[in-house]
Amino acid sequence: MRTLALIRSGIATTIQDTGRSGHQQIGIPPSGAMDKFAMLMGQRHLGHRNNEAALEFAYGDLAFKTSHPCRFVVTGAPALITIGDATHHSGSLEHTEANQMVDIHTSGHGVYNYLHVAGGIAISTCLGSRSTSPRERIGGLEGRYLRDGDILPLGPESKDYEALDSIMPSTRHRDTLSLRFIPGFQFDQFSETTRQNLISQVFSVTPRANRMGIALSGDPVDTGIEALLSEATCYGAIQIPPDGDPIILLNDRQTVGGYPKAGAVISGDCHRLVQSRPGQRVRFVAITPQEADRVAWLEHHYLETKLS
Amino acid sequence: MKFDVGPAGDLGLRLAFSQSPKPSLTYSLLALQSAARRQFSDALIDSIVGYTTLTLFFHPLTLDRERAQRWLEDQAQAACDSPGSADTDRKTVTLPVLYHPSVAQDLEWLAEKQNMGIDDIIELHSGRDYFAYATGFAPGFCYLGTVDERLATPRLVTPRANVPPGSVAIADQQTAVYPCSSPGGWRVIGSCPTRLFDLNSDPAALLCVGDTVKFEPISMADFRAMQDTQAKQ
Repeated sequence: MRTLALIRSGIATTIQDTGRSGHQQIGIPPSGAMDKFAMLMGQRHLGHRNNEAALEFAYGDLAFKTSHPCRFVVTGAPALITIGDATHHSGSLEHTEANQMVDIHTSGHGVYNYLHVAGGIAISTCLGSRSTSPRERIGGLEGRYLRDGDILPLGPESKDYEALDSIMPSTRHRDTLSLRFIPGFQFDQFSETTRQNLISQVFSVTPRANRMGIALSGDPVDTGIEALLSEATCYGAIQIPPDGDPIILLNDRQTVGGYPKAGAVISGDCHRLVQSRPGQRVRFVAITPQEADRVAWLEHHYLETKLS
Repeated sequence: MKFDVGPAGDLGLRLAFSQSPKPSLTYSLLALQSAARRQFSDALIDSIVGYTTLTLFFHPLTLDRERAQRWLEDQAQAACDSPGSADTDRKTVTLPVLYHPSVAQDLEWLAEKQNMGIDDIIELHSGRDYFAYATGFAPGFCYLGTVDERLATPRLVTPRANVPPGSVAIADQQTAVYPCSSPGGWRVIGSCPTRLFDLNSDPAALLCVGDTVKFEPISMADFRAMQDTQAKQ
């Protein structure tokens, strides 16, 4: 059997694909790759057309060996890959010999990387996905973060790999990242002052950031709402707890919650946000659902043209 | 009955009724959820019924927003005109509970605060049926109502880092069983040895929105025996 051995397992490393759906009513979050652009790009590079799983790791720091020669690609945050004497930038198709050490290091920007190895991480699916939900201990390898020495099975290699542009749309540097959002949920119940406070100020990304959500800091936003009856959250929801610091809810969010929400950041901007390190300046820009649909179509078209 | 349909992010629609939660409203929301699954089939990737809301999530690029919104508004209006009733899917579940300070760190606190005996708390908590208004928070977690006013107690200001699995707890007029160990701010008054979430069962979650739950007081000996049986499975 072809396998991958993790020599240095890195930070918050999990097995992910594009996530699971249909189980939010019973409290199971979608999970899946935080930077979906990077995930899809890696899958396309290797001809993975069946949502093959990759390793997601934060702050690019991981080393591995494979049991057989194989192709791989590292997508997401820009990183440097050292194989033997050679060091390359991430984003292009690479090749490693059997039992050769491959070292991946961050180049200082972005947060999440994806290591796609030809054939994908061939563990069994759980509720339709291989994605790990560590809090629920679902999916992945025993539902947990990976550790040094873990050995993972690889699927059969596709002959159908492609060499693609090494584009990294989600990690381009921006002085202030615009988070386009669709107002909704309790937004209309906020006072005009509160709405202006949310829209006019520049927030910054805090270190309170993980797969569940990213907390921002700024002038506290006072919603005037203490608690609500529990209702569905959603991807990108701008949740405002009593301390007034907005939290953007992401892949491993709780599926229901009782804190007021101002609306939700559109998916494409969430993928950019997850690649932002603490200190990144962000601001909210309200858009209509129709504008959001247009952005989604454009991004879909962009991915399709770059990746086909 | 008034309602509002609006966006829930770029992939979702949210229907919210502006009225207090009650079982007939939950039945309407569940009927709407089933209708949405039939109407949108594969384009609908997930849906969640809350206390007074139904949120639908669609596949990227498949959402015809105007049409879906109109459909949801028409359905909601129809639900207003004929209130929902329980269908055959709804079940009643009896959960055994050990009410004892050794497994419930807030039981004595609550008795003292409300100036009543532990037996009174047991009688009040297990003496009525509860309705499952919402699920989520954690897999298998179910929000049950409505707790007797004499037991209603606010959440802890600072949630505990770790509430043991099986903890039976109260927050305001809601009660619930923690299916697995997790952080939590509800007041713990008992422990339930029944497993509420098991990936090897179908369905994985024992309790569903719309179910009725009864709590049955058990002895320490029964509790230990049930725990042992669970451990062997």
